[in-house]
Amino acid sequence: MINLSVKIANAVFKNPVTVASGTFAHAEKYYNLEEVKKLGAIVPKTVTLHAQVGNPPARIWETPAGMINAIGIENPGIDDFIQKKLPNLKKIGVPLILSVLGQDSGQFMAIIEKLNTQQDIAALELNLSCPNLNHKILVAQDPQATQELVSKIKAISKFPVIAKLSPNVTDIGEIALAAEAGGADAVSLINTLTGMAIDIRTRKSRIGNFMGGLSGPAIRPVAVAMVHKVYQSVKIPIIGMGGIANANDALEFIIAGATMVATGTINFINPRASLEVLEGIKTYMHDNDIVDIKELIGSLNR
Amino acid sequence: MEQIQNIYRVVNNEKLCPQFWRLSFDAPLLVKKVQPGQFVHVRTAEGLEPFFRRPFSVYRAQRYMEIFYEPIGPGTRLLTSKQKGDTIDVLGPLGTPFVLPPQGIQQVVMISGGIGIAPMLILSDVLKKKNYDLILLYGGRTRSHVYPMKEFKDNGVKVHIATDDGSAGNKGRVSVLFDKIKFNPESTFIYTCGPNPMMKAVQDFANKNGLKGQAACEEVMACALGACLGCSIETKHGYKTVCYDGPAFDLDEVLFH
Repeated sequence: MINLSVKIANAVFKNPVTVASGTFAHAEKYYNLEEVKKLGAIVPKTVTLHAQVGNPPARIWETPAGMINAIGIENPGIDDFIQKKLPNLKKIGVPLILSVLGQDSGQFMAIIEKLNTQQDIAALELNLSCPNLNHKILVAQDPQATQELVSKIKAISKFPVIAKLSPNVTDIGEIALAAEAGGADAVSLINTLTGMAIDIRTRKSRIGNFMGGLSGPAIRPVAVAMVHKVYQSVKIPIIGMGGIANANDALEFIIAGATMVATGTINFINPRASLEVLEGIKTYMHDNDIVDIKELIGSLNR
Repeated sequence: MEQIQNIYRVVNNEKLCPQFWRLSFDAPLLVKKVQPGQFVHVRTAEGLEPFFRRPFSVYRAQRYMEIFYEPIGPGTRLLTSKQKGDTIDVLGPLGTPFVLPPQGIQQVVMISGGIGIAPMLILSDVLKKKNYDLILLYGGRTRSHVYPMKEFKDNGVKVHIATDDGSAGNKGRVSVLFDKIKFNPESTFIYTCGPNPMMKAVQDFANKNGLKGQAACEEVMACALGACLGCSIETKHGYKTVCYDGPAFDLDEVLFH
């Protein structure tokens, strides 16, 4: 019998496989829920304090082994989310990691206070790194801002707090360290890399919001390197993501130091990718006589 | 619970005219489920190039599922290499289908440009059972965008054709065919699918003449399940996803650019 269970603070997940925010919900009705129930956790799309309509089209563009997106966090806002979406997400019966985003710390605090009234949430993921909201600088690009915001939220949140980090930085290890110093229970990485594509016929950006975030298998080596780097710098668990398309990809992240792994963009191509990743991890552990996933985490040979 | 994604067997893949191909695959459950205006999302590559699946309107669903396509990009060009007996990875059927004509409608006018003819055959398959006067106005760039359209004619559809260069049918855009028809706000219903400028012209014409209808929209799609929100378009009621809220919308709802 192999043990796949992992923990973030006091939250227990029966296995390390989840989905990256923005790639699963709100498509609940299309998925085979019996299969979804096998996942370690579900991370719905980021929710903000107020409803957001999102960015003007075109919002996505296909790139080599990946895509650029600038959706703009289209979401119903936290009140509607709690009322209309959360009950159905809870019914799936898989631990929920809720991704949240405030325009400033006051908004973050307001969101956390509303979620504090709720039960059955495994953890909160702070989206400190969405590249599509036209801010000059992201929280996750500034170690001091990261530490301050995380510590404010930790002071009031009744749920474990995960900081989602941006790859668009010089030293992601430094930002991860700041999140840990602020009390984060885990970090998740990477969010998308800033990207752009140009229509040479019109000489305009392919993306309505001009710039977007690059994701998909194209960015995987960058993400693996960053997970490796962050694993060197912090003690808290890492949720690794960025271009995972199959179990072998996911195992790279785990060996590099990720406690959990998330499939993201590949869900759009293969809706069963996360389940195939889970099965593949089991097979690998079985074939390599590994009884506990913890033996694998950060087991990189040098 | 039934899977939305499955592997099916290709039964036929043929060129219908210089520009357009038709691929059929064996999927009895999809044939039973699909409604006019819905689409399937097809993985054209084995690997990661091209990366996205490709959405195709369902052209017909009788014995087999049929899609109608124009090989113009890397995904659609790959699709032409599929042969009888090959497998094909398909998600579907997806999206909001066409609304059927309301009470009192006697005449249905389908207005398509180019590959926008794709959802109209399955629509005529359904509507022919109800004794409407069925008309197709089809605009193509050249005669290589025109094929015999025998299936439409077999369904009793009166077909009118225009080409930009006049190499087949009337010369000009599909709008030159509007004069051929006597539209009546009380009894005419429009279905349109094609390039946005064409659908905008249809919308303007419909508004000017008090006509109602439906438009099937197209956009680059990633998930096609309403999850990524990547294929949103502007409508009178804000952004809506083509994959989930559409592809079929009320003709006057969409803000075409």
